[in-house]
Amino acid sequence: MENYTEPVIQTSRGPKAEPAGFKLFLKRLMQQRALVLMSVPFLLWLFIFKYVPLWGWLTAFQNYKPYKKFSEQEWIGFDQFNFLFTDESFYRILRNTFVMSSIKLVLGFVTAIVLALLLNELRNIFFKRVVQTISYLPHFISWVVAASIVTTVLSNEGIINVLLMKIGVLDSPILWLAKGEYFWGILGGTEVWKDVGWNTIIYLAAITTIDPSQYEAAEIDGANRLQRMWSITLPGLKPVIVVLLIMNLGYILEAGFEPQYLLGNGMTSDYSDNLEIFVLKYGIEESNFSLATAAGMFKTVVSCVFLISANSIAKKLGESRLY
Amino acid sequence: MSNISASRSRYNSWGDRIFDTLNVIFMLCLVVVTLYPFLNMAAVSLNDANDAVRGGIHIWPRMFTWENYKFVFNEATIFHSMFVSASRAIVGTIVSVFCTAMLAYTLSRQEFVLRKFITITFILTMYISGGLIPGFLLIRDLNLLNTFAVYIIPGIISVFNMIVIRSFIEGLPEGILESARIDGAGEFATFIRIILPLTVPALATVSLFVAVGQWNSWFDVFLYNSSNINLSTLQYELMKILQTTNTASSSQSAADAFAGAMGGVTAVTPTSIRATMTIVASLPIILVYPFLQKYFVKGMTVGGVKG
Amino acid sequence: MGKKKLVTIAMSLFIAASALAGCSGGNSNKNNETSASQAPASSDQPASVEPVTFTYFNFQSRGKDVMASETTIGKILQEQTGVDWKMEYLVGEEDTKAGVMIASGDYPDVIAPEGQIDKLLDAGAFMPLDDLIEQYGPNIKRVYGPYFDKFRQADGKIYFLPYSADQGYIGDPNISQGAFWMQRSVLKEFGYPKVKTLDQYFDLIRQYKEKHPQVEGKDTIGFAVFAPSDTFYNIQNAAVHLAGYPNDGGVYVNMDTHEAKVVAGTDDIQKPWMKALNEIYAEGLFDAESFTMNKDQFMAKVTSGRLLGYFAYNWQIGEATNNLKTAGIDEKRYAPLPVVFNENIKDQYVDPPSFVNNRGVGISVDAKDPVRIIQYFDNLLKEENQILVQWGEKDVTYSVDEKGRYFMTEEQQKNRDDTNFKLSYGFQYFEYGWPRYGSNSLLADGNSYGVGNQPEVAASGFTDGDKELLAAYDAATFSDYFSDPDDRPWYPAWSINLGQGTPEQIFTTKSDDLQKKYLPKMIMEAPDKFEATWAEYMKEFNKLDKATYEKTMNEMIQNRIAGKW
Repeated sequence: MENYTEPVIQTSRGPKAEPAGFKLFLKRLMQQRALVLMSVPFLLWLFIFKYVPLWGWLTAFQNYKPYKKFSEQEWIGFDQFNFLFTDESFYRILRNTFVMSSIKLVLGFVTAIVLALLLNELRNIFFKRVVQTISYLPHFISWVVAASIVTTVLSNEGIINVLLMKIGVLDSPILWLAKGEYFWGILGGTEVWKDVGWNTIIYLAAITTIDPSQYEAAEIDGANRLQRMWSITLPGLKPVIVVLLIMNLGYILEAGFEPQYLLGNGMTSDYSDNLEIFVLKYGIEESNFSLATAAGMFKTVVSCVFLISANSIAKKLGESRLY
Repeated sequence: MSNISASRSRYNSWGDRIFDTLNVIFMLCLVVVTLYPFLNMAAVSLNDANDAVRGGIHIWPRMFTWENYKFVFNEATIFHSMFVSASRAIVGTIVSVFCTAMLAYTLSRQEFVLRKFITITFILTMYISGGLIPGFLLIRDLNLLNTFAVYIIPGIISVFNMIVIRSFIEGLPEGILESARIDGAGEFATFIRIILPLTVPALATVSLFVAVGQWNSWFDVFLYNSSNINLSTLQYELMKILQTTNTASSSQSAADAFAGAMGGVTAVTPTSIRATMTIVASLPIILVYPFLQKYFVKGMTVGGVKG
Repeated sequence: MGKKKLVTIAMSLFIAASALAGCSGGNSNKNNETSASQAPASSDQPASVEPVTFTYFNFQSRGKDVMASETTIGKILQEQTGVDWKMEYLVGEEDTKAGVMIASGDYPDVIAPEGQIDKLLDAGAFMPLDDLIEQYGPNIKRVYGPYFDKFRQADGKIYFLPYSADQGYIGDPNISQGAFWMQRSVLKEFGYPKVKTLDQYFDLIRQYKEKHPQVEGKDTIGFAVFAPSDTFYNIQNAAVHLAGYPNDGGVYVNMDTHEAKVVAGTDDIQKPWMKALNEIYAEGLFDAESFTMNKDQFMAKVTSGRLLGYFAYNWQIGEATNNLKTAGIDEKRYAPLPVVFNENIKDQYVDPPSFVNNRGVGISVDAKDPVRIIQYFDNLLKEENQILVQWGEKDVTYSVDEKGRYFMTEEQQKNRDDTNFKLSYGFQYFEYGWPRYGSNSLLADGNSYGVGNQPEVAASGFTDGDKELLAAYDAATFSDYFSDPDDRPWYPAWSINLGQGTPEQIFTTKSDDLQKKYLPKMIMEAPDKFEATWAEYMKEFNKLDKATYEKTMNEMIQNRIAGKW
């Protein structure tokens, strides 16, 4: 339908960059009406379902009671934020949240990518598919069940202690789950175990886009397996990796609460308590929806900071980016 | 794939063999570790519940029984809820993947004047939420309570999936769209005829994500449709069964200190039912993946273009 | 230990069959006569029996969603009243459900809010019942009359009907609450000795473990407390029981001065308990996994025969005790023991007669026809219907012997224990969550209201091993060798509503967190470091706003003693 005479470069600056070109903007909009029709309805949907409920943010400044009309709510200013930020455990909680989600992010990325690369090198297609399918099974186990298995494995008579004692690393069993300093490691390991197969799927799909002729060329150059993985497959995955990384950096304060809640205990709470558990304890359980909202707003701010920084770094480095 | 077999001789250097062996060993270890929880659930679900309390069941039942499955399937609502779950998984996946792909396509077009605005507006919503109650009130005010549509409409677009598909489209060779335009195809026709077939691996991936999400979700049933049994999903019905056994086995909360302490033996326990529901709920959806795997064939995309 | 309990008195009297009117059942007996004679106070306007269906929502996950008429009990009640119920039970998270329900302002006709009651009352979800009761509720007045003042809200009105309005009193013959449990083989080995103090208790475990270091090839485990995060209160409550107090939540109340004090950080309650555990841990008698194991793991330990003693509430691990009972090896089962710190303390493990005033069922402001509903409630509270919801139908789900005593045949007992039967018959739905007698009530004919409290039912459940053990301790039932509960007019203090987000509530949360962190540490530290850790704990603890909490609790308890609930 459209015949683009103009080069692509101009438009990437966006309409507002050239105020004189408002007419031009409208003209383009008309030219691109098919694209507009294919996207703007979703914008409307987005507005209704995602932006309209944002009035809820105002409740962070209220002593919100769900049964009262909005106009009848009591306004309390920044009390909820004060409660959150001045709690003596807040900085510990923030540290735990950052550390746990960073571990999850780094481990999650590295293991999934490595597994995707290794799976890609398997020669037997049937074996490859079987491994793929099995490796994603733990994703379907609820955290309750997964935590129960982990607790059993790590118990005094669990396989880890038994093995370590057999090979002489330990004299007596270690109570792994009672030691705060092991908690992050255990959590990270559990998350990898549960989700590595699942996280790999997207990279396996991305690998399909790599042009096979590149491998042929590399072979002719005498590159070995590791070299090919390093110089063809990995670069081929780079755009996806970068985009996913930027997106996930925005979730830096979302460490989840189920595994922490189920694997943690009083002895490890200095390491396992995170923002979501705090909100659960003082917000949801107390029906203090305002606190939950305030914490959510705080997270959004942090998310945006990380997201924007990551995206602009990617831009500077000339990598693919989110927007 | 043909090129792999053709060059097989090249792979057979010593280094490659060692690599292959180690790789296979590693994969076998991975299989053991990731298969265990599932086999464990299967074994517990097939074991006498009262006996399972003693623990120590690993991958084989000690006292075989079908009782747990009978208990779950005894529930008349289970089959209907499976149907609802399957419906929402199918309808939800088709609608969401199609819409998401369409949006992704428009946002992959560098010259689209609204591209940056729309992209950022969408991405932002991944990190913001007005909270539970405003969300609920919105659904109520839209008259979506107690409807099947509430499973589909709020999830039409997944931003994450949109980004994934967009990345794929952007990764397609430049020439493809050009040739479409030379053919004089309109945007929508280009999307349907060229983009969709070329992004099949990406579509298969996000279909899996959406389908699994739809199949496993129960929170929207809990919030919006809990009083309409006809719209109840499998996960939600299984949760009901689990909670019934929970209460029955510890019917003595602090406020309810009587009855049942007579050492009566129930045929099921929360642990056995949880294992059973893990199997019942996840087997169908797990089987989707092998089916989708045939779309993850190396070189298919580009090869298709070349051909 | 030879002290006779109310139960025993009651039981022997009942078996004598004649004097029952004079016993603790007197109150209910009298009431019953009145109700029998003037049941339809408003009989000039007979209740409508036109078919109608109302909605019912319960915040406890007792059952699956069902129409009342699909259950036997619901059907019988429908025939009497014409009322059917669409009953829904919570699935998922109760706080969220309550929040959403309140925000939408769309309430079912009848709500049983469990722990969410304060929120719903705050939200004005319930309608005042006073006038309705006055006009249509002769049986409601009979059952709840003596208790009305205990659950009137601040505005003097009644909004819901609690579950614990006892009519007379009969105790539970079994110990289903917390106790120090000991494997029976230990007791047997030493000839069923009297175990009164904690030292004696640990000493038996110590001696037995020395003699039998292994069970079936695995190390014997001395003593465990089932105290992972969500049941951590087990280790907190054990101390209170050892000091001779019942579970009053975070406080213990002096019987003379009625002064409430926080248990945490007490030199004479929490500290000696911690010290004792610290010592047995050093000896290798305390199970280090007490704080990390989950329920399944704990139950596996209990059923393995390796664990010699534990503290837990019996209802927490019903599956494990059932398993042991079916296995039929009595020696591997556990006996509850009323252990205290020293000989001079009277144990208080058995809950005193109590009135829980923050649980109940109410009619919502959206109810379509409150009159029909209150009539249904009133009908439900007729003695025969109260028997129906607990015992079922005579000769179907229970039997009556020639002396008028209720019992269950083996078949009936088996059904009563079967979850599916309980659901289809309707016990699961109707025995709780509706207006009812308190669980410790006596019926007018002297039988127990609750099935589990009926001595005949309990006795028929005793195995030979049970009987041997009971004979050794010269007791008729397990609760027999526990002390009678003292009368505590404020009990239970744990039901005191502290409000949401108040300094008192925050104190509770923080103090629990602190204890979860320090108590395990204290136990598992070398004995010479114990004092230092205790001091560190106290230093942290003293930073919390204990004074406000104690002050509020004292005020509330004084109010309750004065009759202002």
